[in-house]
Amino acid sequence: MIEATGLTKRYGMKTAVDDVTFSVKPGLVTGFLGPNGAGKSTTMRLVVGLDRPSSGSVTVNGKSYSALRAPLREVGVLLDAKAVHTGRSAINHLRALAATHSIGRARVDEVIGLTGLDSVARKRVGGFSLGMGQRLGIAAALLGDPATLILDEPVNGLDPEGVIWVRTLARFLASEGRTIFLSSHLMSEMAQTADHIIVLGRGRIIADAPVGEILALATGTAMLVRTPDAERFGALLSAPDISITHREPQLMQVTGLSSAQIGELAAKNGVVLHELSPQAGSLEDAYLALTKDEVEYHAGGTPR
Amino acid sequence: MTTTQAYVAHGSGLSFRGLLLSEWIKLSSLRSTMWCYGLIILINIGLGVLLAVSFQPQGASTASIDQGYWVQFSTIGIAFSQLVVSVLGALVITGEYGTGMIRSTLTAVPKRIPALISKAVVFSVVSFVISLVSIVVAALLAQGLLTGKGLTLDLSDGRAWGAIVGGAAFLALIGLVALFLGAIVRNSAAGISAALGLIFVAPIVLQIFAAVTRAAWVQNLFELLPSSAGARMYSYTATPAPKVPDVIVLDPAQGLLVLVAWVALFGILASVLLKRRDA
Repeated sequence: MIEATGLTKRYGMKTAVDDVTFSVKPGLVTGFLGPNGAGKSTTMRLVVGLDRPSSGSVTVNGKSYSALRAPLREVGVLLDAKAVHTGRSAINHLRALAATHSIGRARVDEVIGLTGLDSVARKRVGGFSLGMGQRLGIAAALLGDPATLILDEPVNGLDPEGVIWVRTLARFLASEGRTIFLSSHLMSEMAQTADHIIVLGRGRIIADAPVGEILALATGTAMLVRTPDAERFGALLSAPDISITHREPQLMQVTGLSSAQIGELAAKNGVVLHELSPQAGSLEDAYLALTKDEVEYHAGGTPR
Repeated sequence: MTTTQAYVAHGSGLSFRGLLLSEWIKLSSLRSTMWCYGLIILINIGLGVLLAVSFQPQGASTASIDQGYWVQFSTIGIAFSQLVVSVLGALVITGEYGTGMIRSTLTAVPKRIPALISKAVVFSVVSFVISLVSIVVAALLAQGLLTGKGLTLDLSDGRAWGAIVGGAAFLALIGLVALFLGAIVRNSAAGISAALGLIFVAPIVLQIFAAVTRAAWVQNLFELLPSSAGARMYSYTATPAPKVPDVIVLDPAQGLLVLVAWVALFGILASVLLKRRDA
């Protein structure tokens, strides 16, 4: 259980996290979404006490992280930036971390096996690929068999098999009653993993709801209508609170009318319909709609 | 929504013993450590033996002058190995900042200060032991070589062994100065520069000033620098230096105290900053 209350972090003039209040519950995978620079990593660093909040507070299982008697047992964390000495072998890195909590060699070997690092465990981390580094970070997060797992962009650099593995692992650990908090800037990733989603934009929470509700935001009332008579039918449907977009000569998108209403109007006016279907909303669309105004770095454009 | 019971963390927690073991694993698993300690052993033994081999006794000599040669040759390597131990001391902490390892360290030990203390303890103990063993080996080899050249040496001289142990303690403490400086600046290049600047460059600059101005306060400032105060810990003179008014000359125990004060100063500063700054 992670609980943040009025959490704020300023770096000089810039407010990275702006009065954020949320809770991440056990037994669920909670996705933490937002564009690059939205403040996801900063929030996660605040949770584990690497950065000090400018105001507000955050607790893990009711306690401030630094007050925990066994931090690695309570929280396993994978940060976005590398947090490993490049001159050390993977196994020695894990042994050094394990030693702080008197975690035995058996558990070190166990997480190495679990993350598929056996063949490179004795190699120096400096030579690791992005994916191997990511697996080592996950191995380190799992060392203490933690009740809460915080993973910042865990699938970064992983191959498809690795992505599925992380997804399965997150779901499995949540089913054991652990608190799983995953960040990503990819909505599609979250759609398949998370139960609950918190969307962050420019340091503020812009959505905090079960994944189904977030999806519903995108699955509005837009209908796709395909007809050879598009021009005439479009004019017939036209009304003040109805928006019509002509996508192709014979295809238009209609918002503000149900499929039944459109079908009845077509029958009444003798219009032949080749297609009448709800425009399926994807999590991606919902996300884009939510964060449209919150993106800090627009590609090819100027920041607002 | 879910009927799962929240998972409760269990198992062993943080302990100081665990932190010491962790820092020992960290120190012993890096190549830079092996290189630096190898170099320290080589310098401490090699230079002492080299001097003892090339030494040519001339004319009349007293037992106390002979004894002075022996201790001087045994500890001659320290003048150079102090630079190596300083570089290693700085690297031990700045290497963590440079690679990001510090974030792993501080998430494991969120109170932070215990991590710094255990790092300092492990580094200084290991440095002391390696220094002591290498200086003792140098002393025994030099003793054999010098005796072969007709010098009369007294192996039961407590003051001589005090200088040898003092030399090893000096290397451990000067390494700690560098470690804490590194913790303050958090960057390898800056940490090594700051440490070598204070330990190696500052004494030279002050000595030049002292020679030019002949001012007692410049001389005294020089005497109180970490490397010059610490050098008294392993100095061995048959006759005490002539007293000059207003000029401080530390004895070995005072030298130790001044160096410990430097270590404490930087240690406290490093701890305060470590606790306050974002990692």
